[in-house]
Amino acid sequence: MAQDNYEIQVYGSDTVAPKNTMLELHSNFTVNGSKPLAGSQYTADDTYPTNHAEHETVEITQGLTSWSEVGFYIFTSERSGQGIQWVGDHIRPRVRAPDSWHWPVGVSLSTELGYVRPRFSADTWTWEIRPIVDKQIGRWYFAFNPALERSFHGPGVSKGVEFSPNVKVSYDFTRVITGGLEYYASYGRLWSFDSFHNQQQQFFPAIDLNVSPNWEINFGVGVGPTASTDHLIVKAILGRRFDWSGHHEPGSSASTQ
Amino acid sequence: MNRRRFLQGCAAMGAASALRLNAKSPGADVTLTIAPMQLEIASGKTIHTVAYNGQVPGPLIRWPEGKPIIIDVHNQTGTPETVHWHGLWVPSNVDGAMEEGSPMIQPQGSYRYSFTPRPAGFRWYHTHTFAGHNLKKATYSGQFGCFYIEPKENPGNYDHEIFLALHDWNAYMGGGGDASMDVAYDYSTINGKMLGAGEPIRVREGQRVLFHILNASATLTHWLACSGHVMQVIAMDGNPVPMVKSVQAIRLAPAERIDVVIEMKQPGIWIFGETRDDYRKAGMGIVLEYAGQQGEPKWMAPPEVLWDYKPFASTKRAVEADELIPLVFRSKFTGHGDFDHWLINGKSFPKTDTVSLKEGKRYRLVMKNESMDDHPVHLHRHSFEVTNLDGVPLSGLMKDVVVVRARSTAEVDFVASNPGLTLFHCHQQSHMDFGFMMLFHYV
Repeated sequence: MAQDNYEIQVYGSDTVAPKNTMLELHSNFTVNGSKPLAGSQYTADDTYPTNHAEHETVEITQGLTSWSEVGFYIFTSERSGQGIQWVGDHIRPRVRAPDSWHWPVGVSLSTELGYVRPRFSADTWTWEIRPIVDKQIGRWYFAFNPALERSFHGPGVSKGVEFSPNVKVSYDFTRVITGGLEYYASYGRLWSFDSFHNQQQQFFPAIDLNVSPNWEINFGVGVGPTASTDHLIVKAILGRRFDWSGHHEPGSSASTQ
Repeated sequence: MNRRRFLQGCAAMGAASALRLNAKSPGADVTLTIAPMQLEIASGKTIHTVAYNGQVPGPLIRWPEGKPIIIDVHNQTGTPETVHWHGLWVPSNVDGAMEEGSPMIQPQGSYRYSFTPRPAGFRWYHTHTFAGHNLKKATYSGQFGCFYIEPKENPGNYDHEIFLALHDWNAYMGGGGDASMDVAYDYSTINGKMLGAGEPIRVREGQRVLFHILNASATLTHWLACSGHVMQVIAMDGNPVPMVKSVQAIRLAPAERIDVVIEMKQPGIWIFGETRDDYRKAGMGIVLEYAGQQGEPKWMAPPEVLWDYKPFASTKRAVEADELIPLVFRSKFTGHGDFDHWLINGKSFPKTDTVSLKEGKRYRLVMKNESMDDHPVHLHRHSFEVTNLDGVPLSGLMKDVVVVRARSTAEVDFVASNPGLTLFHCHQQSHMDFGFMMLFHYV
């Protein structure tokens, strides 16, 4: 996955409204992840291990138009003996099919480009294109992100374009509580997938709390059954929307009754 | 059982002041033909809708108070229809609401409405059918028109009179996310035209122009301002207000009407339109053109205006009611991908309680809105007096639609003076279709 366990989120098709900013904090703790080689502080691919690492990612998304936004990520990692470290940054422009097109499903297209320090990922410069299709039907929500990734620097360069699908299925138990299952995978090279053993597969039972349109709250616990996946991760997303459109500026209106 | 099943089970502007009729039926004063049409709201933008007499809004019906009228309605669509005479004190069987016992007009059928229009003032007429998830039907369509009942004595001090009807088009289910689905629209019009697409309102400096403005949107509340011109509010829902006030902007919820006088003393070419940019860009506006002026229409945003009914009412406490009728409004969540359902005192129509009324008694609807949505509630066949808003006593403000804001209270009084089944509902189509209705009956 492009952001590995720094940002663990299946994207919905909606974009942040213009003159709005979404500030999110992604907090992910790897309970059972990659471990250092004996006698080394690094793993087999010469990166820091993820076991017991706390990853904090700040995501800032600015709405540009009613159908476009741009996001910026700051990845950090904290692990015993390593302190807090800057990991890297990504930038992510995104466009979506406007409401006026009246498509039966939500569709958007995200692309992400960024750098991660070599101690945290063998592939440092990466690019991703992520189509997003989603649909809300009554209490059910479905999202599918068939992402394609490409490394420009590191061992992954030779693999070409890799296929990394994400899926989310959730159900609105109440207006506030939505529960569901998120699936994150990286199958390897497009048209020539890795063996199952070498694929990344993670399942996250997750809960979204819809306490307010201005807040985003998501919790999940992820299980990775394959050898190349971190086996147990706890994730949380806390987001706050800021509206700069100025509903109470001159020229706008409100009511007291 | 929802409203659809219940129904199945029961089975211009100033120039428009002249009544335009299509093929007037013998013996009828007015003939309305309901039929599909293509409405060009702007160059290259055509709406496929259903309307009266091939025009949007339908023909202005202007009729003297107290004079009986016969209106023939021909339904040239493939579904049953009905016409509701909004704000008129008419009998249940001609009010145009199936729930009250008015007959539906069958496809290709006709019906003759006969009643005596009253009370005087700015009323309107519109379809009163079920839309549900079909956001092209019922009040989402072009089936609306203005009905002006001429008072026996008109004390109006104005030079020119103009009717404006607001509407929103191409509805779709939007929102979702943290909220439930709501209705959103592609386009907005005044008198069937997007801003700049229709004829301007032509005025002369020094004129006093009386605007009768109707919000015929199925679900949206609109705010209007007239680019630097002050609006003197003289009537709401067709009834003179106790306190005439001047404002920079007005708010109109679905089905509300307002009469304002604007003194034309700012020569230029102006936009009379929605205060919110996105709605104005969607078409909600009309050009105001002073004689002898040229140039592009200009929009001048009003200063922030907080809308409130209270300044237009008397601060005196209203007379006590004989009986209180408590009504609590709540929503029932059905998923972020659907419309909420609505409950009055814990029940959705048609399971809502039918409240008994005795003729001659004064009743007070004590409304508590516990939901997160505003509700423009409407009482059929009666007018009511707004007597309390959020704990502030009032009197004298007569209406037939009042907005009960989210998480607020409102009280209105009415005298049971028009026997027969009487419908009470939220005028947002998506609310009334999903349970927000109840009936009163006389005993």
